[in-house]
Amino acid sequence: MLPKILVAALLILLVAMPGFLSPSLLNAAIQMLIAALFASAFNVLAGQGGMLSFGHCAYYGIGAFATLHAMNAFSGQGLLPTPLLPIFGAIGGALIGLVAGWFSTKRSGVYFSMITLALAELLHALAPHLKSVFGGEGGVPSMRMPAWGFTFGTPTEVYYLTLAWVVVSLALLYFFTRTPLGRLTLGLRENAHRLKFLGYNVHMARVMVFVISATFAGIAGGLLAMSNEAANYSLFEVRLSSEVVLNSYIGGVGVFFGPALGAAVMTFFGYAVSDLTRSWLLYQGIIFVAVMMFLPSGLSGIAVWWQGSKQSAATLLRYMLGWTAGTLVSAAGVVFIVELLQRALADDYQFLLVAGQAWPAIQLFGRAWLPGAVTTWLLPLALLAIGIAILKFTSARWQALNDGEAA
Amino acid sequence: MEFFTVSLINGTIYGLLLFMVSAGLTLIFGMMGVLNFAHTSFYMIGAYLAYSLQKVIGFWPAIIIAPIIVGFLGVVVERVFLRRVHKYGHAHELLVTFGLSFIIAEVIKLFFGNYPVNYQVPASLNFAAFQLFGTDYPFYRLMMGVISLLMFGLIFLLLSRTRVGIVVRSAIYRPKMAEALGHNVPLVFMGVFGVGAALAGLAGAVAGAFYTTNPNMALELGVLVFVVVVIGGLGSLGGAMVASILIGLISSFAVGIDLSAADLLAYVGAGDWAQQVGGLLTLKVSSLAATIPFALMLLVLLVRPSGLMGEKE
Repeated sequence: MLPKILVAALLILLVAMPGFLSPSLLNAAIQMLIAALFASAFNVLAGQGGMLSFGHCAYYGIGAFATLHAMNAFSGQGLLPTPLLPIFGAIGGALIGLVAGWFSTKRSGVYFSMITLALAELLHALAPHLKSVFGGEGGVPSMRMPAWGFTFGTPTEVYYLTLAWVVVSLALLYFFTRTPLGRLTLGLRENAHRLKFLGYNVHMARVMVFVISATFAGIAGGLLAMSNEAANYSLFEVRLSSEVVLNSYIGGVGVFFGPALGAAVMTFFGYAVSDLTRSWLLYQGIIFVAVMMFLPSGLSGIAVWWQGSKQSAATLLRYMLGWTAGTLVSAAGVVFIVELLQRALADDYQFLLVAGQAWPAIQLFGRAWLPGAVTTWLLPLALLAIGIAILKFTSARWQALNDGEAA
Repeated sequence: MEFFTVSLINGTIYGLLLFMVSAGLTLIFGMMGVLNFAHTSFYMIGAYLAYSLQKVIGFWPAIIIAPIIVGFLGVVVERVFLRRVHKYGHAHELLVTFGLSFIIAEVIKLFFGNYPVNYQVPASLNFAAFQLFGTDYPFYRLMMGVISLLMFGLIFLLLSRTRVGIVVRSAIYRPKMAEALGHNVPLVFMGVFGVGAALAGLAGAVAGAFYTTNPNMALELGVLVFVVVVIGGLGSLGGAMVASILIGLISSFAVGIDLSAADLLAYVGAGDWAQQVGGLLTLKVSSLAATIPFALMLLVLLVRPSGLMGEKE
């Protein structure tokens, strides 16, 4: 019952959003929605089907280009009314997904991962040469045409268009997990051999799952094309494929909404942090590895852990606070070190240095820090040590609590 | 003839270099079933370390010390990161190395900036080995090939002729059995991981001076190395060698071929039709050079899904 209320509340919030967001935040919200859909599409394959794709940007990108070409068809009149155009993203994603899926699902496990990566690279290497399709460096531009009484000229209208598509797609993806093929997908992950012995054509089942995942990735790409009104072949870069992997696993692939949550959170993190620091990709990487090491089921794993635990809510909250405090303190230490290093190693700072003289002070967090002084480095290291100590202490206490109850 | 000879030599040497990087990867992969996404990051670290060290201690010591440090880093990665997530399964180990490759690339950018560094072949090695059709052939290129061949020979001898090799090979094929016979398999894993990383580091230290040393070199080579592993077959050192040379040769020849599918079709009288269709048909082979390894991989998958020399699925 609770999840249903949560989903309804979230929906109401999402619908009300344009009322109180600035245009740039609204734009970020559009990107978050698209990333959430992309990650959910990826999760059908990776989380549910156990096929870790490292080249999912291929279907996303193809979806974007298919939509752009559909928008431009009939000298800009479009093949369909504007709100329906992401359908072409779906078709594009599905077609490429069929070909790529047929090849890559011939192998499983890490081979599958490598093949998907290589296929995306193949597309990335090919795309700049096919100017008529991918438009070369300049890419393919387009315009959103008015339709159904909307002009699609304001971010608010684009937001509602994106929201509608994302909600419908996520609902479809959710219902897919309830269909026989959706259940079979879990079987592909858990024990493909057994499915084979039960008489299923495993390769065909894998291809079907792949196509479904690629289709929805294509829709996400189509929505991106609608919102940006342009795309070029950089959509096929490995960076985009890796982002969806990072996002999904940070959110947690074990829960249906996990990847969407992770993608939304990390996209917002990127939006908020990328203006503040050049090292935000480093932070993203550190967050990912830390989550993989210590929270293997991702952020949504916390909710599962909370629900599955026998302890009282007050106890759980106390330990949660302990872990959160430890994480924040050690994160502060890491951020301090990275930012200090980044500023000290930047070209414009290195340019100021005179041989034989002490390094000048660096402005950071509203204070001046001397990079040559020991205390400057002692502070973040102390923060890091304290944070780790809190984490260790809390974990040890938690362990003891559980052991005590088991005994 | 000139084109043929030069492409043959260049392709072989490029292939040998690819082998240097993929040898460690394929060993680790065959043994632990872990695809180490951070493997080419070790290659990149090797290049950057050698670049930093050679300014202080000279070229040759840097070439030797950089791989050792990289090998040590590899041991740390195995011990601290991989072993800890082992219980969550292979996909998890893969993801952790993937995250590490991300972090390593960003840390490199933090320390050395976004642009290539000026890592060059030292003047003492920058001379012509011989004349080839009137142009000088750089000695350093030959040296890279020789280093790779030496490495292949050493690994081969180590694996096939020594006691350590027997233990390593048994740990690759039957880890449980090796463990039951009293060998410390986790230690063997750690050792192989370290040696694999050191090999990649060596490749980086040597090749970084000849090609460019930039923060994207790991990514650029990474995908190619995976293609080598897929084509060569799981854990097969020989397969990795064959696949590397094959890819090296094909890429090297493709760059110089100024033909397109339309030109071929013109022989059978369909040239005009192909020109009209355009797209893929009119692209020159030379501009497709980067895509050929992937096409080759698809072909191998179709004909022989376990790779050229792979035995087990």
